[in-house]
Amino acid sequence: MSGENMRDVASAGMCQDVASTEELAGLVRQALAKRRPLVDYGVAHGGLGHAPPALHTRFRLRGATIQHYLADCTVRAATGITMGQLAAALAPHRQFVPIDADDDLTLGECIVHNVYGPLRQGYGMMRDLLLGLRYLDGQGRDIRVGGRTVKNVAGYDVTRLLVGSLGELGIVHEATLRTYAMPEQTLEAHLAVIDLSAMDERITPWLLSDARSQSLSVEWRGRGWRAYLGYFGPIKACATQLRALEEFLGPTRRMLLSDTKTAMAQEHRQETSRRRSWRRQATALVKILIPPATTGAFCAALTAGVRNAPSLRIDALPAFGCVFAGGDLDAGATLQLEARIQQWIGPRGGMRIWHQRPAETVPQLAPVAPTPSDMPMLVRLKRIMDPQGIFNPGRYLPAGDSDSSGATSHAMEVPA
Amino acid sequence: MAATVRAWHPVIDDLRRAVGDANILSDPDELMVYECDGFPVAKGLPIAVVFPTTTQQVSRCLQALSKHDVQVVARGSGTGLAGGCVAFGDGVLIATSRMTTIETIDLDNRLAVVQAGVRNTALSDAVAARCRAAGLAGALHFSPDPSSQRASTVGGNAATNAGGISTLKHGVTSNHILGIEMVLPDGTILQTRADSLYDGIGADLPGLICGSEGTLGIITRLWCRLVPKPAHFRTVYGVFASTADACQTVSDTIASGLMPASMEIMDGAMVRVVEDAFHYGFPTDAQALLLMEVDGVAEVLDAELETLVQLCRKNRASDVKFCSDPKRRAELWSARKKAFGAIGRISRSYCTQDACIPRSLLAQAVVDIGQIGARHGLKITSVFHAGDGNVHPILLFDEEKPAQVQCVLRASTEILEYCISIGGTITGEHGVGVEKLHLMNRLFGDDTIDAFTAIKAAFDPQHRCNEGKLIPSDRVRIELLRPTTLNSPGGAS
Repeated sequence: MSGENMRDVASAGMCQDVASTEELAGLVRQALAKRRPLVDYGVAHGGLGHAPPALHTRFRLRGATIQHYLADCTVRAATGITMGQLAAALAPHRQFVPIDADDDLTLGECIVHNVYGPLRQGYGMMRDLLLGLRYLDGQGRDIRVGGRTVKNVAGYDVTRLLVGSLGELGIVHEATLRTYAMPEQTLEAHLAVIDLSAMDERITPWLLSDARSQSLSVEWRGRGWRAYLGYFGPIKACATQLRALEEFLGPTRRMLLSDTKTAMAQEHRQETSRRRSWRRQATALVKILIPPATTGAFCAALTAGVRNAPSLRIDALPAFGCVFAGGDLDAGATLQLEARIQQWIGPRGGMRIWHQRPAETVPQLAPVAPTPSDMPMLVRLKRIMDPQGIFNPGRYLPAGDSDSSGATSHAMEVPA
Repeated sequence: MAATVRAWHPVIDDLRRAVGDANILSDPDELMVYECDGFPVAKGLPIAVVFPTTTQQVSRCLQALSKHDVQVVARGSGTGLAGGCVAFGDGVLIATSRMTTIETIDLDNRLAVVQAGVRNTALSDAVAARCRAAGLAGALHFSPDPSSQRASTVGGNAATNAGGISTLKHGVTSNHILGIEMVLPDGTILQTRADSLYDGIGADLPGLICGSEGTLGIITRLWCRLVPKPAHFRTVYGVFASTADACQTVSDTIASGLMPASMEIMDGAMVRVVEDAFHYGFPTDAQALLLMEVDGVAEVLDAELETLVQLCRKNRASDVKFCSDPKRRAELWSARKKAFGAIGRISRSYCTQDACIPRSLLAQAVVDIGQIGARHGLKITSVFHAGDGNVHPILLFDEEKPAQVQCVLRASTEILEYCISIGGTITGEHGVGVEKLHLMNRLFGDDTIDAFTAIKAAFDPQHRCNEGKLIPSDRVRIELLRPTTLNSPGGAS
């Protein structure tokens, strides 16, 4: 199907399947000609940022593994591939892409939303794994940046720029990533965290010890705090590190080893996905970024007097100061949660990003607060990379003067 | 070379006001030191060199330069290898080498805030001292370790996205930069993710700025991630009868899933040079030496070491030696780091290339690169980051022989074009600078070059910030030193 005679998909409920780069370029040309934005918020990030304009075209990119460079430990894929499909393609070769993502998220969604989780501890995040990209810019040009080598400093690192860009600077349609050897075993240690402040104090010493793990997360499900430490590798290494953990915890009883569980990598992936599945059903979900050493204290503050929000759930990555909080919260509980967050980050620094919020709270809750200091430069980049504002306009960056979608009405304030 | 007599430029007075008399050089004799970096083929005298000590001074300098419409070039310690910090065409150098304050070392949050001129090792040394004072049972450090790390600055490392020996496992500079403060060419101060957070919202500006080679603005402060310094190691080296066998061992190691911290190869000529110079005990009949290191949990390192030894033997290593002794380990890595310094023993001049190729193609690539050298009548030796596929063919020549210089330039281009043809790139860690500018259009299509140009315009709409480097420019065209006019400086038109 050529871009010129492509079926016009205007209704928000319909989705245009795009089977090739040429079709995608046609879709962009059509969007430019009709001044009708292209919208892709992903399957798990629909509530992140301002709502899309009323009139827009949704699209779905094709997904496939284009080439798996097995001996190089890299893979090139069309970004419509789901993370489950990508994992399935790599698994027979005992390799994997170490990103904590649900199976139904596409690779593209993971890139532009910078999806990461506990595995960041051992493997880094998307910006550390991505080697190259192809994307369509706001003029419909197919831009190739980076490459397939593991080091590359030729030209601007637009690959990293687009990580977390929320689909506002271009449509990423192909990516090359590092892969890693699948570990022989995963051993997960479960800790009951009695004293969160102990966690804050001991993260750096833990990282300097043999007890440090390849994944670390802490969660609250209404009945106390639990930490999950994942050791990936040869069986002997896991056993050694578990002993080091027991030694590290010592007799203080502020954190107690309550359980251990061994699994194959695939089972572990499914288990961690199940553990965070609440986020997909949550009526309210907020991501908070704080200085890592305050994660425990912040989490304690969130749950103090939790009787008012019995369904509050929290996932935290204490080594990175990243916290997801939310659950099946009504408008009142959501606003209370917001108040607690603001009370904390106001004087101490940090930011929060609502991923989901009850409709009644939308007028009161700006999607992102505080506005980051680099917003003016991001706006400039938006204007040059997407001059007509056709990619997810107004989602996070102001929609711009060329916007015809109505998104300008909820554009964010740009600091002078 | 005789100093060029230059006319006084009115911007100098404004710059003097911005930084004070003690922090500016404008005498042509004093400027000679700043006419090139580690790529001596590209030379150009700046109008002046200023040495600001604060971000505000940098901002005032850039406002003055903007007022007078003068080109500006950032310089750290000048250890770059691609001519990226040379001022051509009446440009002014802003040297960050006096911006040396380590403002914060935060062990709890594992980050340091530093001015751009802090030296790489000075930061890690200061962090180590702080860790000792805090009684920690180990040390954090700033992980990027370019060979120039004793001299090079953190700002320069970020501007070139410097790599190093341990980047295979631990990443390049941009993996360790959380936030950046940069002064834009109009004097505006931009802060991006300049806080104690490990993430942000929206497009990743620090990721873009790293590796931008001073073409977007002047980096003045950085928020650096500190990570545990590995405490347990096993170091192994294999002696091979051919570089191709050593390379195949690297490819096999990567394919096995093992992740050494470093995998470095020296070819036979380099082994002999290093041995002659420093007497480390390397066999002088080796055709290649593969130096590898694993780090991590002490109890499992021996098993990993055994795997490495087996892979070396599978690829016909004639000898494999390993050690866990810190003193011997330090000697081995010192040998690797001193290799470039020893080349002068076998050649009057040399040109180090820097390309990156898929790791599985290393063995064939080193053979093909050697043949390119032979076709041009040049001897090529190598010491390189094999685990990253980051090859550094070193072309030996005599710069007093113009014909040889021509051969070097032609062979360099041919080598880089060959690397592009097998899926590689023209630079893995040194940057494009002016040296590789002519190959950017071959590596990338016109649309990508246009996209780069547009991105630069968002930061530098007047095209005054290191223009003519990294991306081809219509406005400033750098002419490198021509082989037939060796004693003339390059210039811009």
